[in-house]
Amino acid sequence: MTPIVELKGATKDFRGIAAFSNVDFRLEPGEIHALLGENGAGKSTLTKVIAGVHTLSSGKLFVDGEEARLATPAEGLAHGIAMVYQENSLVPSMSVAQNIYLGNEKFLNRLRGIYISAQQFLQSLNFHVDPSAIVGSLGAAQKQMVEIARAVHHKAKVIIFDEPTATLTPEEKGYFFKLIRKLKEDGVSIIFISHALEEALMIADRITILRDGQVVASDVTAGFDRQKIIHHMVGRTLTDDIYSDRQRPPRKRGRKIVSVENLSMGKMVRNTSFSLYAGQITGIFGLVGSGRTETLKVVCGVLKRDFFHGGEVKIDGEPKRYLVPAPAVRDGVVYVTEERKAEGFFETMSIAENIYMGKIGGEAFGGFRTVSMREARQSAEIWRKRLNIRAIDPDAKVIELSGGNQQKVVIAKALVQTPRLVIFDEPTRGVDVGAIAEIHAFINQLADEGIAVCVISSYLPEILALSDRILIARQGKVVEEMDRRVATEEAIMYAAVH
Amino acid sequence: MAASDTIPKQAPRRSLRHIALTQELIVVAVSVVLFVFFAVALDGFLSSGNILNFIRNVAILGMLSLGMAVVVIGRGVDLSLIAVMAVSMTLAIVLANKGYSFPMALAAGLLFVVAVAVVMGFLIAYVEIPAIFATLAVSAIVYGMGRGVIATLDVNNVPDGLDWFIYLGRGSLLGIPMPIWIFAVTALLLSLFLRKTGLGRFIYAIGDNISTARITGIPVRPMIILQYVIAAVMAFLAGCVTAASIASMNMRMVNSTLIYDVLLVVILGGIGLTGGRGGVRNVLVGTVLIGLLLNGMTILDISFIVQNLVKSTVLLCALIVDAILNPRDEQTSQQGDI
Repeated sequence: MTPIVELKGATKDFRGIAAFSNVDFRLEPGEIHALLGENGAGKSTLTKVIAGVHTLSSGKLFVDGEEARLATPAEGLAHGIAMVYQENSLVPSMSVAQNIYLGNEKFLNRLRGIYISAQQFLQSLNFHVDPSAIVGSLGAAQKQMVEIARAVHHKAKVIIFDEPTATLTPEEKGYFFKLIRKLKEDGVSIIFISHALEEALMIADRITILRDGQVVASDVTAGFDRQKIIHHMVGRTLTDDIYSDRQRPPRKRGRKIVSVENLSMGKMVRNTSFSLYAGQITGIFGLVGSGRTETLKVVCGVLKRDFFHGGEVKIDGEPKRYLVPAPAVRDGVVYVTEERKAEGFFETMSIAENIYMGKIGGEAFGGFRTVSMREARQSAEIWRKRLNIRAIDPDAKVIELSGGNQQKVVIAKALVQTPRLVIFDEPTRGVDVGAIAEIHAFINQLADEGIAVCVISSYLPEILALSDRILIARQGKVVEEMDRRVATEEAIMYAAVH
Repeated sequence: MAASDTIPKQAPRRSLRHIALTQELIVVAVSVVLFVFFAVALDGFLSSGNILNFIRNVAILGMLSLGMAVVVIGRGVDLSLIAVMAVSMTLAIVLANKGYSFPMALAAGLLFVVAVAVVMGFLIAYVEIPAIFATLAVSAIVYGMGRGVIATLDVNNVPDGLDWFIYLGRGSLLGIPMPIWIFAVTALLLSLFLRKTGLGRFIYAIGDNISTARITGIPVRPMIILQYVIAAVMAFLAGCVTAASIASMNMRMVNSTLIYDVLLVVILGGIGLTGGRGGVRNVLVGTVLIGLLLNGMTILDISFIVQNLVKSTVLLCALIVDAILNPRDEQTSQQGDI
């Protein structure tokens, strides 16, 4: 059988830096093909070449056995190849139905008509999304569903999913996998990029693993297990599974650093109360819409608290109402964002400049001091070593680093401000396996040093591995507290969904 | 990964800076070519009168561009510079003509400038009006105040007997005209401010990514106001030099294309409109090139309309080069995902 998509000797480089080189890849018709690898391994770029977002530097791309040169995503679509992006590529100001039909509108476009057909289409996919809702008002998971619906609607022969399940709840994931299987029955070929190995093992027919821009393994799924995949991904066996550190006794709570009392804000935070203690990691789990990120953003001043809602945030027993993050940072409360690219680092600056900016930005009169690149390099060097930030070139812009190294820079930039409380929001999202272990070890080290650490995560194994104490948020409120010794994935999920 | 663990002390490769440097080099090379061409081809170009005229214009354009550069680095734009410059000097001159001492009048002008900038910065930072519209509106208001409230005439003459003030525009020190000295000193100070102080670095941080700057604890909104105050003070200084060299201030220059020349200098010099990039050096090379171009065209007696056509074409080319050299499309913003 001719493969529907084939790459032969494919190489792509950006300004001389190879994203992948000399890759051979085959996608058979009606196959679910999982593409795995650490961040920076070249997965995203490889699929973007297939979808026509990038063109190959050298090598050949065959579609349906014929050599093709796809210069734009539109040409990719014309060849029946659609891509569902990691970052949303929807138009936020348009309705769901308009987004699904975007680019496929009839010359005379009747809104009512497309709402009705979009409604039927979404129901056939078992997606519960209102077709007349404005996309900007939807949650992350629903946006993802609309993305998927759009790709399916284009009647693509090949659909590429880049991290499709990262923002979905377990229930939605179930629907998503059903949908993928149904697409497969209809003869659609699927490429599926994921960091969740279990998902790949469960759903894929064939798995290809990339490492540093090379294919290191490609076989039917039966030939793999979790350990073997990780071995191929990182080129070493992680002897102790990074999420299995369950035996450690919980740390004793230190001084109370933050107490939140009956805090409310808008529709996202509803009358919630909890405390955070020094020398301990508090894990906060919640599903999409549980308001956990919003609550902690209010605590550290990133979100301005409105005056209509009540409640109190006390730092060291003193009531505080931060309007902007600056005074919170001076009080030693820092926030490590989940949106690394949007608000995590300065992309035109080097690693050293980024970390140094954290330092002078955190000082009380940081603006009224002199700065020097030498000092920047010195303080950056300390953090580079502590966090093992790897860059070929120390003056490289942070945007040129891999996800894991970017995240380490963001963390260093916050920690250089000598905080007493660090709030990590999804600290390992979009980070490769090796860096996850390093970041986890570092977070543990912080708590051992007596800093109050708060970790927000949607990934249960991460919560279980890191937390000394687990808070579970539901509908804008912290509803339950668990000790690490008694917490299980099932118990946490039970508290989170009810 | 193992090989990349060893970090060399000095950078072997500075890809982005390399490109910025080449853009500067292109501009310098074009300037040299233009200079030689004008010197050979044009009779009056190398005459002392023309060189003096050229230098004075370059100094004024350069000071305005320095102010604009600060704002553009912080990802803003200030279209009110010319209005602020003309009206504040007019205010000072009018007060002086009414009998106030000239230093007092200048202080009043400076106060006016700072007040306007603070209001404008407040509108942009706190009310969150896009900079381009806020500054355009303020520019119109300031000009209106100048014509309607402050002075009745377009042109106001500096009172007689202020030799020290005129010296700032027409005098020279060690053979170098005073405007050049003033331009050089302000450029040096601004360069030190941008590179060596925390406030200067904050402006780059805000221009690069305002959300990150905010989370990092930088007082973003006060910094935006500061940006516009610095730009307005630079405009005031440029106004002083203008008034000193021609002994008067003509408010009609607000309606000229000077503000586009200023933008042209900033963009052509290599300060990207996307913010966070470039510095005083870029303003210097941009100023020289545009100054040469304008001077040469004036001597060639090219009509005003054709001059504008040439300038706007150059501006468009500079914008295209800027967009190519400093791309901010999906491809680069996602390079972390390679």
